[in-house]
Amino acid sequence: MTKQEELQPDQKQEDQKSPPPVQPQHQEQPKVTKEETDRAKEIQELYRKLEKTRSILHTAGDVEVGQTPHEILEETRTYKLLHYQQMVSKTAKTPILVAYALINKSYVLDLQPDKSWVRSLLSQGFDVFLIDWKTPTTADKYASFDDYVNCDMDRCVDIVLKKNKVDQLTLHGYCMGASMSAMYTTLHQEKVRNLAVIAPVVDTEKDTTVIGNIAKHMDVEKMVNIVGNLPAEQLYACYSILKPFKQGVNKYFNLVQNIDNESFVGNFLRIEKWLYDTPPIAGETFKQWIADIYQKNLFVKNELKLGDEVIDLSKIKVPLLNIVADEDHLVSPQCSAPLNDMVSSVDKRLMRFHTGHVGLIASLYSQNNVLPKVGQWLKARSQ
Amino acid sequence: MTQNDNKESQPNISPDAIYNFWTNVMKLPTIGPMYAFSKDFGAYANDYVNLGKVMADLKTHNDNYWALVSAAYAKAARGTAEKAPKQLVTKEDFENYRRAAIEAFEYAFTELFASSEFSVVYGKVFSSQLDFSKALQSIAEKNFKVLNLPARGEIDEMLKDVHELRKSVREMKKEIEGLKNDQARRVAT
Repeated sequence: MTKQEELQPDQKQEDQKSPPPVQPQHQEQPKVTKEETDRAKEIQELYRKLEKTRSILHTAGDVEVGQTPHEILEETRTYKLLHYQQMVSKTAKTPILVAYALINKSYVLDLQPDKSWVRSLLSQGFDVFLIDWKTPTTADKYASFDDYVNCDMDRCVDIVLKKNKVDQLTLHGYCMGASMSAMYTTLHQEKVRNLAVIAPVVDTEKDTTVIGNIAKHMDVEKMVNIVGNLPAEQLYACYSILKPFKQGVNKYFNLVQNIDNESFVGNFLRIEKWLYDTPPIAGETFKQWIADIYQKNLFVKNELKLGDEVIDLSKIKVPLLNIVADEDHLVSPQCSAPLNDMVSSVDKRLMRFHTGHVGLIASLYSQNNVLPKVGQWLKARSQ
Repeated sequence: MTQNDNKESQPNISPDAIYNFWTNVMKLPTIGPMYAFSKDFGAYANDYVNLGKVMADLKTHNDNYWALVSAAYAKAARGTAEKAPKQLVTKEDFENYRRAAIEAFEYAFTELFASSEFSVVYGKVFSSQLDFSKALQSIAEKNFKVLNLPARGEIDEMLKDVHELRKSVREMKKEIEGLKNDQARRVAT
């Protein structure tokens, strides 16, 4: 018999014999201080916000992007050429062809109505076209910059010129698309009236970003031979080490804190959607991008080759606008700025803004500070 | 049945006879299944030995990678301990702790990711991962041959040809378009 079992019978007997204990009329409640009540409320509030964040993140994929009305002028297996609907009467004669990068998706230029780069250009009276690159498949392993620039971009330029019955257009590229626009201009200058680039990758020796650092020791030849296209997972790995805590971790704390602010949440989800909407990059193109541009710095040495043709930046004579961000952690301004020294253009301008790589194109700062100046520069050269 | 009967019913096979039998089998023409099997076996064995070497390299590089990450973590933890509030009582204390931690971790890890040492180690890890994939591909490709499927190298050749063809077609189309435009211009004048 255990000690507990020994005690139980006696206890039962005692319970039967003795009268029930008298309950005090007013049981003393433990004192709850105001601080404790406030803390409990805070915890409850935090729990509510976490629960709301969880449910919102579950529907994050449904968030709408790229809402500015447009038509698809041409669709091939590598790109879609979009033509945006005019919002005001056209005041600029020269059309703008926006060349987006091969990294992530082009809707970052039309993320939401109040932060849309495209919409702002339309509202300033420009006729805007955009090359929306499609996701490359295994069959595109051998697609190189030569294919993208000399075939696809050239085809899009021809379509825009024909549609608008003009001889020249403004070529407007962002990030890798900016570098591609510069490549195109050196080879087909007769079709380009103005070259306006945003954060182009040019002099990679001066690049101080983490991306540039990692690219230096990447065996890209081996990667293309074994894997083919650059897998999206590899790009996620690169993104995850860019400002890993300030942006990677802190942004989720900020989301929970601002979960009741509809505008904040909408903006967060759109950026998040874009950030993880990463297609692979065609193997041969990625090889050129890393080995020729990042490792050997051939672009700035005027030794980069597209097919049989050498890209000589000094051949560029058209008006050049180079827009860079001081806080850019993907393409450092020191890497973009040398383009102005490389070209032979007389009319050239470098615009620097105190923002980041995405902030430069998809933020209220961009709408209020960057786009009015860009529009003014373009308008003066588009009549 | 007696023990003697048992002995009589067993065939008289000596070790020499077994050896001679297999030697004769191995001497069969080199198109036989035994030859093919023994040839494949050698190649498979080599592949697995290679896979082992690749995995050993990958482990070494992974260890170096994690050593760098651990050092950065320790630095960040020290930085947090120095700057964060010592007592966590009020809401502000927690908020300040979070800020200090984010700041310290951001600094330590960005310094690591931007260092040339990390770039070299990351490059080696990446290269080892690719070697690992290649070793697995090599084994898988042998099975493809058994199933009479094209190997990766053969598919790559086809993709290259398709790419060249596509390019040629594009150029031809462009030339035809140019000729048509010239013709239209001539007719107009």
